[in-house]
Amino acid sequence: MIEKRRGRFVLSRLALVLGLLCSACSNDPYPSASSGEKILYSSFTEAPRTLDPATAYTTVSHSVTGAVYDTLLKYHFLKRPLELMPGLAGALPAVEDLGEGRSRYRFVLREGLLFANDDCFELGEPGARTREVVMGDVAFQLMRLADPKVGSPVLEPFSNIDGFQEFGAALAERRESDEAFAARPVHEQYAEIGGIRGIATPTPYTLEITLHRPYPQIKYWFAMEFSTPVPWEAVAYYDGQDGRPRFDDHPVGAGPFYLAEYDKHARYVLEKNPNWYGVRNPEWRAPAAVFPSPADEDDVASGRAEYAGRSLPLIDRVIVVREKESIPRFNKFLQGYYDASGIIKESFDSVVIEGGLSDEMREMGMRLGKSVSPDVFYIGFNFDDAVLGRDGGDRSRKLRQAMSLALDVPEFLRIFNNGRGVVAQSPLPPGIYGYEPDYANPNRRVDVARAKELMVEAGYPDGVDPDTGEALKLGFDTANTSTAGLNQVRFFTNAWRELGIDVEIRPTNYNQFQEKLRRGDYQIFQFGWVADYPDPENFFFLLWSKMGKSAAGGPNATNFMDDRFDELFVSMKARENGPERIAEIREMLSILERERPWIELFHREDYSLYQGWVKNVKPMGLSIPTYQYRDLDPAERAALRAAWNEPVLWPAYSLVFLAVLVVLPGIRTYLKERQ
Amino acid sequence: MGAYVLRRLAYGVGVVLGVLFLLFVLFFAVTEPEDIARKALGDKAPPEAVAIWLENHGYDRPLWPWQNFQENLLFDHYRKMLTFDFGLSDADDSPIVDRIKAGAGPSLSLTVPLLVLSLLAAIPLSLLVAFFRETYIDRMGVFLCVLAMSVSTLLYIIGGQYIIGKLLRWYPISGFDADPLLLPRFLALPILVGILSGIGGDVRFYRTVFLEESGRDFVRTARAKGASEPRIMTRHVLRNALIPILTRVVLAIPFLFMGSLLLEAFFGIPGLGSMTFDAIQANDFATLRTMVYVGALLFIFGQVATDISYGFVDPRVRVE
Repeated sequence: MIEKRRGRFVLSRLALVLGLLCSACSNDPYPSASSGEKILYSSFTEAPRTLDPATAYTTVSHSVTGAVYDTLLKYHFLKRPLELMPGLAGALPAVEDLGEGRSRYRFVLREGLLFANDDCFELGEPGARTREVVMGDVAFQLMRLADPKVGSPVLEPFSNIDGFQEFGAALAERRESDEAFAARPVHEQYAEIGGIRGIATPTPYTLEITLHRPYPQIKYWFAMEFSTPVPWEAVAYYDGQDGRPRFDDHPVGAGPFYLAEYDKHARYVLEKNPNWYGVRNPEWRAPAAVFPSPADEDDVASGRAEYAGRSLPLIDRVIVVREKESIPRFNKFLQGYYDASGIIKESFDSVVIEGGLSDEMREMGMRLGKSVSPDVFYIGFNFDDAVLGRDGGDRSRKLRQAMSLALDVPEFLRIFNNGRGVVAQSPLPPGIYGYEPDYANPNRRVDVARAKELMVEAGYPDGVDPDTGEALKLGFDTANTSTAGLNQVRFFTNAWRELGIDVEIRPTNYNQFQEKLRRGDYQIFQFGWVADYPDPENFFFLLWSKMGKSAAGGPNATNFMDDRFDELFVSMKARENGPERIAEIREMLSILERERPWIELFHREDYSLYQGWVKNVKPMGLSIPTYQYRDLDPAERAALRAAWNEPVLWPAYSLVFLAVLVVLPGIRTYLKERQ
Repeated sequence: MGAYVLRRLAYGVGVVLGVLFLLFVLFFAVTEPEDIARKALGDKAPPEAVAIWLENHGYDRPLWPWQNFQENLLFDHYRKMLTFDFGLSDADDSPIVDRIKAGAGPSLSLTVPLLVLSLLAAIPLSLLVAFFRETYIDRMGVFLCVLAMSVSTLLYIIGGQYIIGKLLRWYPISGFDADPLLLPRFLALPILVGILSGIGGDVRFYRTVFLEESGRDFVRTARAKGASEPRIMTRHVLRNALIPILTRVVLAIPFLFMGSLLLEAFFGIPGLGSMTFDAIQANDFATLRTMVYVGALLFIFGQVATDISYGFVDPRVRVE
């Protein structure tokens, strides 16, 4: 009797566990989400370090800050090359020339803009949930950029503002000498110091920025979150005390979305911000709050023309889930649980065939998006080096040219990057003013025969150094010491070996490499640069002598110095786009062709897959989230998800049947023995 | 017994102090704080931002007491670790204690059922294999166990996600939801993969234990008295094999808290294993130091707990 009861107990528990497992039997990772709403599902790999718009400088951080914070200027969503247009400001800034290289930029803010609802506004006015955005909030954020305690990575470009650095220095000095001052809220400290000399807000809706040297590119920084309006209340309130989060984990902005949920290591949710002017005042028809008219034929062909004039944002919510590993992320995308995905290396050949989508992907309704990133990857030569640098004169120049002609970049891309990437002919990537698709750099093709001739002309026939009678020995410093990284460097050194040059790979960590850069103890290196804004100045400054690593500790690690190049750079930097600027850019490129401080390798090309139900995907290249322009069809998604994910249960039934077949005779024997 | 426990605890304190010193040498002698700052702030960060970061994280001080007796990293490291003031993550400045608190729940929700179900699967299987000792079932069992042990955990994970998540679509490929009603859906696959990846080693270990016990005199006596083989295995062999089983289980219990590095990372479970995995990838040495230290503490605690538990399970064991 007891045995029977025990058997029944075990069976009932087994049934319970099986029931639980069966009821849980679905691969839908969003069981609690509503399927009818316009929710965009996305993923992130690394947790954002910070959401403070003064310090956030990574793509993952920008995916939040770019949606939560709005800016005075915006980029046109459809026009390429990228073009600035008014955002929170009613118009592009008026520029006034003050003489002696000084200039003043005057921005006018739209009236009646509100921040997203937040508890922090209680600090300013009891019971308040929001308040109007004023230019003082932009000025406050600019002061935060100058504040040494904030540690913003963009001090250099904003240092063109009159009194910017002096403000930071005065603040630091006062904090050092006056403890009571240092303990006060930062907005009070800024006010006491007297603000930044070159920043004025004559009215609550007017901001005047005075530059003490020519820097027309400053306007681009007003299309980035670094210069977004930030309420002082948020910085004061979110201090990490008494259970409140810190400001860098709790953004409060005036953007199209607000951060409704944030677990930085697991997931975040962006909700449509009811206070955003596009939602609250659609009748304004503000350019950045309505879907733009098509800019090219592709916009018409892909259906984006139908959206022209519709109020933004088009979706209600964005759910972004942490997915550390690429394989599960891609498989979930194929199941319809993510709306977009990159293509993992392991599946690239089955997804993309001859530059287009495979039949299987097309049948699923997927679409392939390709975009060239505004970046450049290059090999650099140290011009301070006796063999490769300026002191070698024509001999070194020919050696650099020969080394440039020996590298087969298309083959490099094929081996290491599934063929993805645009072979670089100059520092300028597609989409940047001055890039000309037909331009072919005579020293950037593959021509080993010519390279060998140049080696002879340089005095190194067959790569033999006449001083030693042996192969010319050079060194390639690399901080990428992974197997893949070293294999890539080996590709280059093997190519140079064909010319008889023996290039030794010198793996080093980042810090040691920085130390070598400081000491000038290096010959060849590999770097990459991603643009902050779409202007050629943001690439050419890397070769400007004033930015020389050895002379000024700047980012020009080649220490390239060329008077004519410098002269052209300074002129081109201050000039508006037009024929004169193009002529200067062409001359600069011809100098680089000849001098070869860099061997330009490639511009990255991103391939992304989008589900058929996602509309209005047009990558902008720069790290600018475009959630407000996206649209999707939730009904189509729900139907396809259901069709793609019906559980296959026969193996489960077979397993249970098999288990019963195996266990039953055992139980029978056991019971018999007991009797 | 009390003196013994005290002695073991004192020994544990010595080990902890030694572990802390090793940790310090390992983490501070191998990597320069500036490297960590660069990793956290990105390559475009100016030197001023790096300097501020180093100051905020306390890495701007000299390493050793003889460089500056009042302000040095070694003393600071001991003080912070011993008072459980773990500070901020090097990667994202979040308080490490908060992350430990937040990650413990998800980790335990994975590791506790995994341990229990692994035991429930491995012990009956080992008994079965031991029951049929020296038959083809035993030999086949051992072969399968060795085979299962030879396969990498990563392969179990990727295979499990592919077959069960993608082809059969029974459970989500990855994800987590703390809602008790939804939790089984997300934990079923990682638990199944965890059981499969560990069962080979478990069955082999328990089989050896059971075989050793089944050759003892009391088993022969039970058999002579006419007890059935199933009864001998479950009542006599299993009960007497509890000490080695308990050693294994009690030692494992403290580590349940630490989570599972690979399972959590691949299945998107925001636990402490996942946190440690992140820390390794992001050069977040502050978090890594903390997790290694917590691991050492738990290990010592586990050792003492094991010794004490022997006395309860087997009255013959008494430590003077």
